[in-house]
Amino acid sequence: MSDYLLEISHVSKYFQGLVAINDLSMKVKKGQIYGIIGPNGAGKTTLFNCITGIYRPEIGQILWKGKDIKGSHPHKIAELGILRTFQTIRLFSEMSVAENIMSGRHIKSKQRWYNGVIPTPAYYKDEKENWEKVGELMDFFHLSEYATTPAGDLSYGIQRRIEMARALAAEPELLILDEPAAGLNENETLELTQTIRKIQAMGVTIMMIEHDMEMVMSLCEYITVINFGAKISEGVPSFVQDDPVVIEAYIGSDEDDDDE
Amino acid sequence: MMNKTSLIAIALLVFMGFFPLFVDSAWLAVGTTFLVFAVVALSQDIILGRAGVFHMGHAVFFGLGAYTTAILNVNFGLPILATWAPAVLIPMLVAFIMVAPIIHLRGDYLLVATIGFNIIFIQVLENDVFGLTGGPNGLFGIDVVRLFGYDFSSQTHMYYMAFILLGLTLLIMRNLDKSKFGRAMFYIHKDEIAAQSMGINVRYFKLYAFILGAGIAGAAGSMFSVQYSAVSPEAFNVTQSIMFFTIVLVGGSASLPGVLIGTFIMFVLPEMFREFETARYLVFGIAMILTMILRPRGIWPVRFGNIPDFLKKGVK
Ligand SMILES: Nc1ncnc2c1ncn2[C@@H]1O[C@H](COP(=O)(O)OP(=O)(O)OP(=O)(O)O)[C@@H](O)[C@H]1O
Ligand SMILES: [Mg+2]
Repeated sequence: MSDYLLEISHVSKYFQGLVAINDLSMKVKKGQIYGIIGPNGAGKTTLFNCITGIYRPEIGQILWKGKDIKGSHPHKIAELGILRTFQTIRLFSEMSVAENIMSGRHIKSKQRWYNGVIPTPAYYKDEKENWEKVGELMDFFHLSEYATTPAGDLSYGIQRRIEMARALAAEPELLILDEPAAGLNENETLELTQTIRKIQAMGVTIMMIEHDMEMVMSLCEYITVINFGAKISEGVPSFVQDDPVVIEAYIGSDEDDDDE
Repeated sequence: MMNKTSLIAIALLVFMGFFPLFVDSAWLAVGTTFLVFAVVALSQDIILGRAGVFHMGHAVFFGLGAYTTAILNVNFGLPILATWAPAVLIPMLVAFIMVAPIIHLRGDYLLVATIGFNIIFIQVLENDVFGLTGGPNGLFGIDVVRLFGYDFSSQTHMYYMAFILLGLTLLIMRNLDKSKFGRAMFYIHKDEIAAQSMGINVRYFKLYAFILGAGIAGAAGSMFSVQYSAVSPEAFNVTQSIMFFTIVLVGGSASLPGVLIGTFIMFVLPEMFREFETARYLVFGIAMILTMILRPRGIWPVRFGNIPDFLKKGVK
């Protein structure tokens, strides 16, 4: 077996003729914080959707611990230990914060099919353990005071924390974050950076898309840069930062934006 | 500690428990019908209000339960008690066979498909398939419940049997809400993509909702057939399914008090205003429209945040 947790190998994804991802390859090591950057519309989120089974790439392989998981159902991918957050927050907004985080315990819960109707001693034990775990996560993310508040009523920054808590509740091996700092203020971003370090220290491998370069450069050990669906550069932050191709891509994309 | 909802629930149960002591037999029959229809509406709510599946063929499961008891008793001479288990299991089995191939359909498509099933069901009943269903007239002469030489044949007996069935249904739904299964249904309902990404098998839990809902509706159907000692197709047509669907939305999706209120409004109020004849339906139509405009989440909307007390410590 290889030392890579996740290997993306020559993946392409098309949307009615549009090449959203073009022959993309990358390898993520266990315990790493791996960054994906690139201009708007580069295909970063599409890549995450391919990994998590929302989309099925037409070409290529996605290897999880050496096994191809391409095209698996999203719930199967989550069961493997790959959990994610969303660029546009997707919480169960009418439900309380605690209930939102509890959804992350779903795959860990050992309740049997008949426990939906009849409680058993094992059910009570399982239920209690899972809610306790939710309690721990609310403490970790400073969410305890909102336990009963509907998630949709809370500020953007807090909602981002709930989403991370929910994903972490499933005790993932790989945590996939799609622009976790988007919409956060400076303080919140700082706090997030520390939180991500703590999560890494728990032994969780992290892949993140982020536009906040300062944060990406300080957190990530390795970075892949995507433009128009294809990899244009990869390496350690200091290398990627100074790569002329990357600088060109970002300036070029600004001009594209202006044309529209 | 007791919260307001539990107090109201207990008050209601006590009231319903003593109801037969104060009313004549006509009202007792209305009360029994309310209980039976409340059970059906709650079972519809598992599918529609919890799992969020637009299912408009619930009368099929209700009817399957009723016809199972009727056929086994009238045609095969089985005692009513012996028909109970099949009246629950057959709707569950049919739910699985019928819904598994269409469960992936998007809301509006699935809605049309379930209406299609309901129409087929009525056709089957009216055409007296295998000579079992009695055609358009249905079956009559259904026995009463007999146990240890006792006959549970009076209106009061019927009432209390239905009362127990409603109690059991409420208990099941409470257990469901406090389990991984009920929560999974809510997550799917609120955001299917997010639910999947948390490892929830959408297909499995939607089917679970259907099968559980079908079994409960079947039990109510069995009771319904014994109460009227007869069954006929029109009690299980699409109009009935629309009623069950409407009750849930008007009362409040996934809200136990909401669905009970919805049942009361749709089935008991019409009885109370009999002298207004058909004009009352005009009022109901308007009431349905107004509810959807003014209270789109129902008269008594569901409230989330049902979490263990030890997690509420930090709440300010
Ligand atoms: N479901 C879809 N159907 C059609 N086209 C899509 C779909 N999803 C994404 N695309 C297109 O694929 C391309 C890549 O989109 P993607 O969301 O992956 O970009 P991104 O790198 O995440 O951008 P951003 O930084 O703005 O989030 C875009 O041109 C987008 O319009
Ligand atoms: Mg994106």
